[in-house]
Amino acid sequence: MQIRQYILRRLMLLPVLMLGVSILVFGLSRVGGSPIGIYIEHEMTPAEIAAIEERYGLNDSLPQQYVAWLGGVLRGDLGWSGVSAAPVSELLRPKMMATLELAVLAGLIAVILGIGMGTFGGARRNRLPDHLTRVLAVSGASIPIFWLGLMLLIVFYLSLGWAPLGRADPNIYTRIQPYTGLYTLDSILNLDFGALGDALRHLALPAITMGIGSTAIIARMMRSSLVEELSEDYVDAARAKGLPERIVVRRHARRNALMPTITVIGLTWGFLLQGTVVVELIFNWPGLGRWMTDAVLQGDQATIMAYVLVTSVIFLLVNLVVDVTYAYLDRRVVLGA
Amino acid sequence: MSVSAQAPTVTSRGRRLRSFQVRMRRVGELSRDALRNPTTLLGTIIVLALVLMAILAPVLVDANEPDPYQMPRDFAAVNAPPGSPDHVLGTTPTGGDVLYGIVWGSRNSLRLSLIVVSITVAIGIAVGSLAGFLGGRWDSFLMRIVDVFLSIPELIFALAIAAVLGPAFRNIILAIAVVFWVKYARIVRGQIIRVKQNDYVDAARVIGDSRWRIYLKDVLPNSITPVVVQATLDMGHVVLIGATLSFIGLAEAGLAEWGNLVSEGQSGIIAGRWWVATFSGAMVFLWALAFNLLGDGLRDALDPRTEGR
Repeated sequence: MQIRQYILRRLMLLPVLMLGVSILVFGLSRVGGSPIGIYIEHEMTPAEIAAIEERYGLNDSLPQQYVAWLGGVLRGDLGWSGVSAAPVSELLRPKMMATLELAVLAGLIAVILGIGMGTFGGARRNRLPDHLTRVLAVSGASIPIFWLGLMLLIVFYLSLGWAPLGRADPNIYTRIQPYTGLYTLDSILNLDFGALGDALRHLALPAITMGIGSTAIIARMMRSSLVEELSEDYVDAARAKGLPERIVVRRHARRNALMPTITVIGLTWGFLLQGTVVVELIFNWPGLGRWMTDAVLQGDQATIMAYVLVTSVIFLLVNLVVDVTYAYLDRRVVLGA
Repeated sequence: MSVSAQAPTVTSRGRRLRSFQVRMRRVGELSRDALRNPTTLLGTIIVLALVLMAILAPVLVDANEPDPYQMPRDFAAVNAPPGSPDHVLGTTPTGGDVLYGIVWGSRNSLRLSLIVVSITVAIGIAVGSLAGFLGGRWDSFLMRIVDVFLSIPELIFALAIAAVLGPAFRNIILAIAVVFWVKYARIVRGQIIRVKQNDYVDAARVIGDSRWRIYLKDVLPNSITPVVVQATLDMGHVVLIGATLSFIGLAEAGLAEWGNLVSEGQSGIIAGRWWVATFSGAMVFLWALAFNLLGDGLRDALDPRTEGR
């Protein structure tokens, strides 16, 4: 199969998957009772309730309701958030920016630490650094994020007072021009390094908490693929040429070991997106995750549906990019597909 | 006449017994191999200890009446620190004994993981077998459904399902089961397609075995290894997700469950009352860690190519 064909096939599958996800999300909203439950009050008469049902098309058949809802979603209408008393689509952007900033930093931490740890352990197989890497990796994959967040909070917020809660000091952030909604980037664009320091201080704890799980997964994969590469003939050839071990690992083995790790890095995006739910709750971060937990606890179905839909679309797109990148890097994927 | 009619039955029963004995001997060898690894041994010991704690919960701590899964309250000892006379690990802000929550929480974790893993393995084997064994349109159709389920990050999907079903522990069990079966379907399908290509399957077909018999006798038993490894890892992973959902507030209030306890202890942390969240969260960690160590060890033992990697 040609690479163009492979990409075309993956692109054609995307709308099918998105449609499938939309059916699941719509189905969910109809499993848990009336989707207008949050708008109904005790004082309302049956006639008033019937009027609301009529207004939202709940007397139509389920397929008709689905088509109407999907049409709205495609026009950018994601419904009304009962929790925030505003249209969901209006609330989405600022919250998405807050989550994006957190997820990108957490992802960066995970990639740098994960590849570093994996290389460090894999190049010293069955020695102390390797055992330590394996223990850390398996612990990182087993640790409940909500618990790790609370433990870090006890140490760094309560005991040491190093890291503040929330997203930024309001007095600092209001003095700069919000170009993008990403506080770190806005601070740089405004050349205000005091604001940048404040944004990073707020980001540090939640980003580390969120990144630990992904770090563990990446380190594990990097270690095992490096171990595999180091047993290949070309590595023996490089050593036989008299190259120092450092160069053999960095220039030869690590480059090839990075290929399967890229796939795992893509998959950890799902892990990061999930992490936002509890991390934002614990650190009072005003992003999508915090919004979702508020909606869950108050039964705000429009917000829950929008959140699941948006997260899945991001997840699908990231996976598509990863698959295509991987296919470019390793043509065997395309040939085997 | 009657002898000739019975003879094949006796032979096939004997063959089945012998094949069972060979399998059991192989399981014994693999267990010994796996337990030679110190981390696997450690994982196994912790798993056994935790499962034992869950089974012996009524012996270890007196069960609360009428519902032992609800925390008993001692309103005279609210927020008692660890080491208090009647409460070794302290109490919650509503007077719940942390030790009781930890011991009975292990029972809830065992309940959650056993129910979810058995349901999801059964559904996964059924769907994966249908797709892998029938192939063609059935395979494409079932795998597209699997792809759709895999398009939503698992915690978020489970959270949304549990949210629409309402806060209850049984809804958490249901939500996680709905999300987790797809992994097994995909694993089983892949394995079956691989195993189907072996010569012994062709041989069985040539001697006239039915498709059902070939599936049960030759294909399924040889496809099950990665399912066992995944199920072991999921015994830990399911508890991690379940605890996260109850931490968010999707279990019944006052349930003796580790995530619930962390949530109850969270508010006290600012005031320096660290024990409720710390002890109960550590139990979730220990549970997931033990099953991860055991699962990794099993994978190494069952697939020697990955050993030491």
